[in-house]
Amino acid sequence: MSVQNINVALIGNPNTGKTSVFNQLTGLNQQVGNYPGITVEKKMGFCKLPNNVKANILDLPGTYSLNASSMDESVVIELLLNKNDKLYPDVAVVVTDVENLKRNLLIYTQIKDLEIPTILVINMSDQMERKGISLDIPYLEEKLKTKIALVSSRKGLGINALKELIVSYKTLPNEPCLNASVIDPEYFEKLKHAFPNQLIYKLWLVITQDVNFSNLDRNEIRNTFTKSNSELKRLQQKETIKRYQFINDVLKEGLKVDASMAKDVRAKLDRVLTHKIWGYAIFFAILFLIFQSIFSWSAIPMDFIDSTFASLSSWAAEELPSGILTDLLSQGIIPGIGGVIIFIPQIAFLFLFISILEESGYMSRVVFLMDKIMRRFGLSGKSVVPLISGTACAIPAIMATRNIENWKERLITILVTPFTTCSARLPVYAIIISLVVPSQRVFGILNLQGLTLMFLYVLGFATAILSAYILNKVLKLQSKTYFVVEMPSYKLPLFKNVGINVVEKTKAFVVGAGKIILAISIILWFLASYGPGKEFNEAETIVKERFANTTLDEAQFENEVASQKLENSYIGLMGRAIEPAIEPLGYDWKIGIALISSFAAREVFVGTLATIYSVGDTENETTIKSKMQAEIHPETGEKVFNFATGISLLLFYAFAMQCASTLAITKKETNSWKWPAMQLVFMSGLAYFSALIAYQLLN
Amino acid sequence: MQNTVHTLKKGDKAIIKDFDIDLIPLKLLEMGCLPGSLVELLQIAPFGDPLYLDINGSHVAIRVETAREIEVELIQNNL
Amino acid sequence: MFQEIIAFAILGFAVAFLIRKFFWKSKKKKDCGNGTDCGCS
Repeated sequence: MSVQNINVALIGNPNTGKTSVFNQLTGLNQQVGNYPGITVEKKMGFCKLPNNVKANILDLPGTYSLNASSMDESVVIELLLNKNDKLYPDVAVVVTDVENLKRNLLIYTQIKDLEIPTILVINMSDQMERKGISLDIPYLEEKLKTKIALVSSRKGLGINALKELIVSYKTLPNEPCLNASVIDPEYFEKLKHAFPNQLIYKLWLVITQDVNFSNLDRNEIRNTFTKSNSELKRLQQKETIKRYQFINDVLKEGLKVDASMAKDVRAKLDRVLTHKIWGYAIFFAILFLIFQSIFSWSAIPMDFIDSTFASLSSWAAEELPSGILTDLLSQGIIPGIGGVIIFIPQIAFLFLFISILEESGYMSRVVFLMDKIMRRFGLSGKSVVPLISGTACAIPAIMATRNIENWKERLITILVTPFTTCSARLPVYAIIISLVVPSQRVFGILNLQGLTLMFLYVLGFATAILSAYILNKVLKLQSKTYFVVEMPSYKLPLFKNVGINVVEKTKAFVVGAGKIILAISIILWFLASYGPGKEFNEAETIVKERFANTTLDEAQFENEVASQKLENSYIGLMGRAIEPAIEPLGYDWKIGIALISSFAAREVFVGTLATIYSVGDTENETTIKSKMQAEIHPETGEKVFNFATGISLLLFYAFAMQCASTLAITKKETNSWKWPAMQLVFMSGLAYFSALIAYQLLN
Repeated sequence: MQNTVHTLKKGDKAIIKDFDIDLIPLKLLEMGCLPGSLVELLQIAPFGDPLYLDINGSHVAIRVETAREIEVELIQNNL
Repeated sequence: MFQEIIAFAILGFAVAFLIRKFFWKSKKKKDCGNGTDCGCS
């Protein structure tokens, strides 16, 4: 028997365990991508079924109905309307939660109206006994005109039965389970008459939804069957009521709940977790735990990655035949890749916590707690997650804004998230603080250096919130606010779901941002390794002449040559070109070079300075530090890294938009050049002027 | 005075009577917020907004500005 | 020589990649009819 390929679409409300069912069916056999041109995640997986059938399983975004109020829903509708789509499902699997069956069945009745073979999955069946729920499956199957699979995706029960049902999809009844056209018989009769070959419900979707439908011209239909938007909305409401009536009738017979059995853990937990004191106390305790683990636990793998890439670089430099490709590899590409990989531990830890909080249902409570406070600043309760994620990296944080429905709130969140202190700023802060802030104790216990670092974190958050406040006043965007958050019941997070989520998100960062950081590192390497004129090309002769009277050992000589070359390389020239602009901030051209190269990724600052100050061994931080410490300004004779310059640099790095990858993500998520440009100008302007003021005041 | 979801107190139960369909997000209707549905106010967030409701078995949080638009008839006071 | 060719080819790739990432419009733009909240949610 030959192998048969079928398409299966998983459809259902959010929080029904749809993704767990998907994970159970496909395991790690999944791909995550984007739908072309839009930022909706596309999850595909593969599954082997009995009888030599292979299924492509598409996990569609979780939606409450087929009414398109967001991109997520448009994706679902467009796929289900377009029979020619290569992903058009042979069979739809609607996943529902036994505790919320009534609400979850709404979308089921809509899918049935499209006359696609549909299987109904009733998930979390292991909870039935505890909640006192009993189902009359044969009755439900008859009324809903389908086959039902009772599944517990948490315990892996019923998955095989579901696979059997998918294989025999051809035997599923095809007709709708209710007649929705009774809401306005006359209107639908006319429709049917005009388009006898089309499904009436498809026509209705085309009329009411802003979606593409290949062979029907939406405007044409709408012109013929004119109804005002509010009339249409009223009809939609009637449709929804009609569907609920049907569902209520069916469930009255098919579902019995013994209320005495239901013990509500939810109410008790809610009372504590959304309490006006305890709620916030617990939230901040969790935040503290997250930060603690991000910074202390991930230090070990990060050090390991750091030293591994360093030795890999030196290995490549020694073992490979010498030449520019080897140099590019050992000085540009390997450190570039290392600079991306090093963030994996922090990002993985962050997503570990966030997905545990989301899976357990706690995140919705945080949204509920924080919404009013955040709204004063033009943000939404849902902005909390991006702002927290921003402390690891702004890129996944900006991607996490996708579930904010209100466009203005979402845009403001995207724009201010890069102010939060991401981990790339940390190495820069660390070295400058250790240079200019004395390591002494204040009030007996607190370390002044640690205090400065904490202040910079607070500064990041405060600036983010304040800019949000300003943007909220300045931006003239009208967008209808609506805020509806489902408060799911509390669940123990599933290890498998959390694990897959962490792997996916980390991969998205490495692939997305990593490529950009790597590409820029390569270009920077070329700019630093080539230069015009004889100052660059004859660096060795020049150094020899300059040190004719002193004896240099080989290492010292090479360092001097490297430094001479860098000074006259393209990037060195750029650094000197911007020197007049950054001099008032207390920087020289060398710091200028580091500022430019920080555009690839901020943490490059330290490495660049190490190269500029011709420290051969970039791994040894104390040597970079002592070199920087000893650096004297040639004209004034003062220390370059004095207190004023240090503070000015800290402020500059706290505010400046120096991350090309973040700009790329902002452009992608906002689908416009305007917003990343504004981010760049606003943030860098703020950085420049605050650094300027700080330096001028302190110096 | 007309009762709305906004005027309910914590623990109150009510029946949804009517609302202006243009002011209510469709998503809320789909979650079961329809005339005739039972609504219970479960929690009020610390600064008085949003409200945490049980509408027809769905647990949702909405903002006061939305709650103000939903007219209800009180059926059970939480005393 | 051989090394140089490959090194510059890599440079070319890097530049091309960045240009594509930043300056090219995403290929398929969604046509959203006369929708009001298009491309934003």
